[in-house]
Amino acid sequence: MIGTIQEKMALYDKLTVLSDAAKYDVACTSSGVERNGDGTGMGNCRRAGICHSFSADGRCISLLKILFTNECIYDCKYCINRSSNDVLRTSFTPDEVCTLTMEFYRRNYIEGLFLSSGILKSPDYTMELIYATLYRLRHVCNFQGYIHVKAIPGADQRLIERTGYLADRMSVNIELPTAESLRLLAPHKSRKNILTPMRQVQKLSEQNRQEITVYRNTPRFVPAGQSTQMIIGATPETDYQILHVAESLYKKFDLKRVFYSAFVPVNTDKALPSLRDQKPPLLREHRLYQADWLLRFYQFEAAELLDEEHPNFNPFLDPKCCWALNHLELFPVEVNRADYHTLLRVPGIGCKSAGRIVKARRIGSLTFDDLKKIGVVLKRALYFITCGEKMMYPIRMDEDYIMRNLLNTKERLPDSVRDLNFRQMSLFDDMNLNGGELA
Amino acid sequence: MRQVYMCTDTITGLYSAIHDAWKEKRDSEAEIEITDSGQRQLFCEYKVVEESRDKALRLERMIKRYLGYNAYWDIYLALLSDDPEKGTAVFRAMQESRRISNSRKIMEYLGNSDVARVFAMSRQVSNEAHMYEEVIRFRELENGVLFSEIAPKSQVLTCIADHFADRFPLENWMIYDKTHEVFLVHRQQTQWALVWGEKPDKENTHMVSESEKEYARLWTVFFNSISIRERENPKCQRNHLPLRFRPYMTEFSD
Repeated sequence: MIGTIQEKMALYDKLTVLSDAAKYDVACTSSGVERNGDGTGMGNCRRAGICHSFSADGRCISLLKILFTNECIYDCKYCINRSSNDVLRTSFTPDEVCTLTMEFYRRNYIEGLFLSSGILKSPDYTMELIYATLYRLRHVCNFQGYIHVKAIPGADQRLIERTGYLADRMSVNIELPTAESLRLLAPHKSRKNILTPMRQVQKLSEQNRQEITVYRNTPRFVPAGQSTQMIIGATPETDYQILHVAESLYKKFDLKRVFYSAFVPVNTDKALPSLRDQKPPLLREHRLYQADWLLRFYQFEAAELLDEEHPNFNPFLDPKCCWALNHLELFPVEVNRADYHTLLRVPGIGCKSAGRIVKARRIGSLTFDDLKKIGVVLKRALYFITCGEKMMYPIRMDEDYIMRNLLNTKERLPDSVRDLNFRQMSLFDDMNLNGGELA
Repeated sequence: MRQVYMCTDTITGLYSAIHDAWKEKRDSEAEIEITDSGQRQLFCEYKVVEESRDKALRLERMIKRYLGYNAYWDIYLALLSDDPEKGTAVFRAMQESRRISNSRKIMEYLGNSDVARVFAMSRQVSNEAHMYEEVIRFRELENGVLFSEIAPKSQVLTCIADHFADRFPLENWMIYDKTHEVFLVHRQQTQWALVWGEKPDKENTHMVSESEKEYARLWTVFFNSISIRERENPKCQRNHLPLRFRPYMTEFSD
């Protein structure tokens, strides 16, 4: 009988069910902490993180991503494990999770454990089970690899604190960008409930950082920081609102990462958009990640990229190109003189190549050939830079002209967007692609 | 006449060749070739290098002293690559370093084609080594030893050894590099070592322990169920994980 809780289930079946249930969690990063093994157990961590495989959807597999249980008492509309769904329910035991992690890690399949969970009985009860698992893994199995764990909203603060000392990264999912949508789609969760553990983790991390400066051997609390994720496309928020939320999370909660997850309809519900015949909004997700990188590494602000009048990203061009096209008065910049921050804002120049340019030009002036060797993407950059006061080709600093050329570089666009084909436009057409509707 | 130094494709061999070239020809042109790399050129004089540990250590000291530790590391990685002209590129980059005011900054002179080449090779090798830190899959043999087989383009074993030794200090493990026929062996709680001139025993390396099959099966089912069907994108998967790595990976083996 499907739907009943099965007491005895083979490990194989449990893993199938509980990894399948965890796959909608996006975060699979093992980055942010550098730790060598102490020689008595197994495992270490690398700051950059290590991916071990890539699944058929092209996402990396770095951690053993599982739910502890899918026997959830909550009824969130978008979730496959909501209590009103009729799915096979099961739970791991702490022992099983430890064996799986250790044996997978030993064979170099994974970088560590990502433990999430449905709410079994109560938030406290679930958090306690998670704590027990992590304690066993760290102190009995002597595991020194990466552990990412979910803080369960509503669980006792002391439980979250103790778990944090065993984990490398903690996350609380903010689920949806606004409190309004959350009330609509996740009736058992509230914004306040979600932000409380987030704030607590932030405060404890700050405290811990100060303790470490005084006592070097203090145990580390969540050394790789915290992250969160939200669902894109299930509710009518604009990109501007989403990016704004992300920015304030970075600034006010000191998050390491915000993940975006394109809404995949797994349930039919009148509160959810009907997307049965459509694909998940992957391009929109991609543009949000691009913008997220601009916020974190390129010193952009959300308000620079979008505003009330242009609340959504252009599906044809990445946010950085878009920004540059709207600020043509700042370009072209002279590669041999512009400072690092200006270079960062040029499409086609990333953090690495900007750094290399700054180093290399101390020795001699750079040419376009050198830029290519350094790793600059000239097909995008050539409209915005000069080398020795000369552009690569004679170029008109005109928005439509540059946009047409940038689009000709054939960035791979999904079919849904390619149908609005830019080449169909006539010769004298105004290429008014700004603020186009997203797929 | 241009001098060509011939050596084996090992760090000792290449260091010895560069050592000799540096000693005799540092002011003129010289090339370093790998023995049995095929074609011979006209109008040059070939010389087989007498390889020794002493020469290698002397050169290593010299590079560290005059070019700095970072440049040394770049040169070391470049010499592990599969480019037949790696020795020559390194030698010329070293010659270039004498022409600049601060030889320790040699790796920043990317405008010089030899320096750029050394840089590119070093980057290629370290990228490949990182790739193998990711995709190596151990299988547990009947005697409890973890065994893995790989076919890298460059000689990455020394680059990944410390990583795995730190990660699995209490395990007995070995990695076999099929392309260069070298073993990387680690016995629990000891240093790792390279072993040349041995070949894996086909029968023994396929005698896996009982639990091994079960965990390989569990891993494969995890690998398949973690993918979201609506998002499937084989091209993206191939970008991140090229096909050449897959024959040696558990989850792609059937």
